[in-house]
Amino acid sequence: MEHMTLCIDISKCTACRACQVACKNWNQLKAEQTQNRGTHENPPDLSANTWNRIVFMETRLADGKIDWAFFNDRCRHCEDPRCMEGAESLPEAIVRDDSGAVIFTEKTRELDFDDVASSCPYGIPRKDDVSGRIVKCTLCVDRITHGLKPACVQACSTGSLNFGPRKEMLRFVEARVKALGAEANVYPDPMEDYNTLWILPLNSKHYPLAQAMPIPRRHRMAKTRMPMAVGVAALAAAGLMHFRERGLHDPHRKQGETNR
Amino acid sequence: MTNHWIDIRNSDYILAMGSNPVKNHPISFKWIMKAIEKGATLISVDPRYTRTSRKAQVYAPLRSGSDIAFLGGMIHYLLENKLYFETYVREYTNASFLIHPDFMLPGDNQGVFSGLKGTETTEGFIDGKYDKATWAYQRDDKGNILKDKTLQDPHCVFQLLKKHFSRYNLEIVSSITGTPPDKLLAVYATYAKSGAPDKSGTVLYAMGWTQHTVGTQNIRAMSIIQLLLGNMGVAGGGVNALRGESNVQGSTDHGLLFHILPGYLKTPKAGQETFAAYNTANTPQSADPLSANWWRNYPKYSASLLREFYGQEVALEEAYRYLPKIDAGVDYSWLTIFDLLYQEKFKGFFAWGQNPACSGANCNKGRQALTKLDWLVNVNLFDNETASFWRGPGMDPKQIKTEVFMLPCAASYEKEGSLSNSGRWMQWRYKAVDPPGKALPDADIVNALFQRIRALYKAKKGVFAEPILKLRWEYGPKDAAGKVTHIDPHRVAKEINGYFLEDKVINGKLYNRGTLVPGFTSLADDGSTSCGNWLYCNSYTQEGNMSARKNKDDPSGIGLYPGWAWSWPMNRRILYNRASVDLDGKPWQPEKPVIEWHLNVWKGDVADGGWPPLASGEKSRYPFITQTEGHGHIFGPGLADGPFPEHYEPLESPMEKNLLSAQFISPVLKRFDRSTTSDVNLRASHDPRYPLVCTTYRVTEHWQTGVMTRWQPWLAELEPGMFVEISSELAAEKGIKTGEIVIVKSARGQLEAVAMVTVRWAPFTIAGKTIHQVGIPYHYGWVTTAERKYAANDKKPQVFTFGDSANIVTPNIGDANTMIPESKVFMVDVVKKA
Ligand code: SF4
Ligand code: SF4
Repeated sequence: MEHMTLCIDISKCTACRACQVACKNWNQLKAEQTQNRGTHENPPDLSANTWNRIVFMETRLADGKIDWAFFNDRCRHCEDPRCMEGAESLPEAIVRDDSGAVIFTEKTRELDFDDVASSCPYGIPRKDDVSGRIVKCTLCVDRITHGLKPACVQACSTGSLNFGPRKEMLRFVEARVKALGAEANVYPDPMEDYNTLWILPLNSKHYPLAQAMPIPRRHRMAKTRMPMAVGVAALAAAGLMHFRERGLHDPHRKQGETNR
Repeated sequence: MTNHWIDIRNSDYILAMGSNPVKNHPISFKWIMKAIEKGATLISVDPRYTRTSRKAQVYAPLRSGSDIAFLGGMIHYLLENKLYFETYVREYTNASFLIHPDFMLPGDNQGVFSGLKGTETTEGFIDGKYDKATWAYQRDDKGNILKDKTLQDPHCVFQLLKKHFSRYNLEIVSSITGTPPDKLLAVYATYAKSGAPDKSGTVLYAMGWTQHTVGTQNIRAMSIIQLLLGNMGVAGGGVNALRGESNVQGSTDHGLLFHILPGYLKTPKAGQETFAAYNTANTPQSADPLSANWWRNYPKYSASLLREFYGQEVALEEAYRYLPKIDAGVDYSWLTIFDLLYQEKFKGFFAWGQNPACSGANCNKGRQALTKLDWLVNVNLFDNETASFWRGPGMDPKQIKTEVFMLPCAASYEKEGSLSNSGRWMQWRYKAVDPPGKALPDADIVNALFQRIRALYKAKKGVFAEPILKLRWEYGPKDAAGKVTHIDPHRVAKEINGYFLEDKVINGKLYNRGTLVPGFTSLADDGSTSCGNWLYCNSYTQEGNMSARKNKDDPSGIGLYPGWAWSWPMNRRILYNRASVDLDGKPWQPEKPVIEWHLNVWKGDVADGGWPPLASGEKSRYPFITQTEGHGHIFGPGLADGPFPEHYEPLESPMEKNLLSAQFISPVLKRFDRSTTSDVNLRASHDPRYPLVCTTYRVTEHWQTGVMTRWQPWLAELEPGMFVEISSELAAEKGIKTGEIVIVKSARGQLEAVAMVTVRWAPFTIAGKTIHQVGIPYHYGWVTTAERKYAANDKKPQVFTFGDSANIVTPNIGDANTMIPESKVFMVDVVKKA
């Protein structure tokens, strides 16, 4: 099957959050007891029960204009998924499906969560304490392999969420970026390496989450057949670094002038 | 809506004012976006920078309650710069009509129109009522209206309009609204471009316009603009109310409100003793042969309605006698009903699909009022603040005598039937699942109730029993005893459409007795037809259920989809479409024609009557067929508060005085704060204790008072509780941090809310002073909170919400014409929680 790609056009999102609800509905994910924290944004983070969510960012620009952006955070479905580094002990636990989806199987129960979580540069994997599995967006593999769109895409009325064969989507993204003007760009970069793409109408510095990028691969080290224990320790250390990196870029922790 | 949702895509200039469609009508944005992609400009005018503002190319803020000043400034700008569509204004509106020479404008008459009788106070007149004698058109001795087609006569509507709005210059408008002059100009100049004959502009409004003491006049002001710019009747034009409930259009069409019967027929008044007197009072006369004066057909619609209610066995006169009559001059609107209840004027109450303990303005008073009931029936999907009022905050159950009954009803997915959307489309819905437990469709609850009431009347007689005993009830299959066992929605729909009660030949075609009438032109005033709602006549015919149609063809190219569902009236998709063509029947907008006169017939949408174009002389008719004179109303003599809109301050205002005149608030309001119940109808205007302007609004995730959505965990999770949006400036002044719990208080009550500090709400400079505005959402209530006590058999929400109803702080004062409460502007303070 040709790889399929989901493309998020930030410029069209209205933060209606039909996508958040549709994901919970299709995947039968529990609601969380949330609180209004002085923002419309909720739940406060991705979780075992929240696989995509809209991150709200509002800023008053120097010219008095308001910049209010809605960034839809979720799995990037990498062509070369770094989370798999955390599954080297059990390679079939995380698989790349023919559809392009990166799938956390039931076997993720047997993985060390920190290994997996720290391998993902984007802070996506979550532990489901009830099932013991590691979970995240599945790209609705159970729908797209039956000719349906992902549930979130199906629910989006604005055209912010788009889905289709990879080549078609890459062309779509290029055309859209062109139409949106000089500042528009695609995230992540290079777009050929991912099956979730974001069209950003403004420079990526406006979207803290669009700055998360993998740091150079380290798992080559593990392949040099060092004793298992050392390998794991090295991985863990490297993973910790990834995680810290993400922490620094995390918009929740570093709001500056921006409030949501 | 005069137009419909899809039609928004045909617009060139879209003004979202008094609404936040991107957030509150998310699907509408799909069509707004299609228009923008084709080059349209979206303008957003709102006190705060909303999600609609974010998508708009032009944004201007304004202080809540100053819309007439804002729009009055636009009218002034259009006239001053001659940006109106002159032919349209001259030919299709009442601009050329001459008004009584004694008519006086507020600028010359202490801020009020001529004819006001009221009491003078320091705030201007109060308790006023207009004698409208001087608002009348000048007529010749045959009753024809005198006109000046050059629009120069000082008594003509056009000149009066010009004079009236000459007071609304940029400077004064800016100091009332707080909108910077450059932003006013940007909106005016942009929207004025829709006045080009081949361009259209639409206005999308919602409760941001209606929930004001001057709500009707807000919409009137915009209607005047739409007429000046030739935007009525055209594709991408119109005055479009975005309805907040999926079926609120249908419920109003079918007579939900106290002053109307189905199809906007009038509720009979005491004093209209005979059917003839009732018809005469409600059937307008026009001397002009070119005016269709559609309401001249009133007696056909009223007679057919009586036939539907009482059948052929009861004479029309007798059937009319059975109808309830309201006392002239008495209003039975929501605010009044609750005021009467508070005064213990009645004993029992059906809260049917509603939650007055949260939805009613000044709901602390409303909740107190409920304690005075002997019985309360709550028909709803879930427990709510109304059903459980006796155990709510501040209530002592031991002191409350009210007996409460809960009747669970089916949700829309659990029954078959139709709904009518904002675009007037009647759409058939099928049942997806059975209702749970003992829940029944509303109609079946009504049926059960009716059967028992009728049986009681039969058994025990009772006063004036005939209206109940003789009521026709042919809405479903019957048991052996002749009792309807359950309601069949198809039978109801057919009764609404109407039947021939006799064989009839119309235009050479025979229609048999007992067949469905094809359209309302077949209805008769002699009792030979029945029809439950003339506007819906043609919706369910011998050809079948029109509202269930699913044909996706669009021969018009402008998204009319005539084979999809059914639109009232007569499947017409755009109202007043005869105004979309010139006098020869050629579309003003050849790129997006709604109708066109071609080979002696109208092509396109179902035309507003088949008459030929105006240039063809006496066989033609003017385009605004439901107005007695056939012309669009720039001058609107029918309203309670003036033929032109005039700016008055809200009941509670931050202003010391009205900058435009000595008249502070509208002079013709029903003032509960000055009535015998004034102790619970408090007002605090320009009061240092309540310095902040407050407004209410909704979020995407919740529906009305949240009875359906607060119980839905995925939605409660997204918007879990009461918040108050405040500007970063005000927050800094008050030392309030985002996420903190604060108290919002008005003269009437107070509630807890989470402070949502935002840069999207800049303070206003009003007449040189800084004025802050804050806003709270409408949807919350104590029943789904974590803090309340849950009894053993109480359902607990999966996700608790926080906070109580916004209506705890809103005032109870209604619009002068509609009695819709002024929930969009009142005064509060916000303080840190101790
Ligand atoms: S459904 Fe579409 S528009 Fe709505 S929040 Fe999700 S991505 Fe944005
Ligand atoms: S693709 Fe499926 S699993 Fe992923 S966010 Fe969308 S709905 Fe959820």
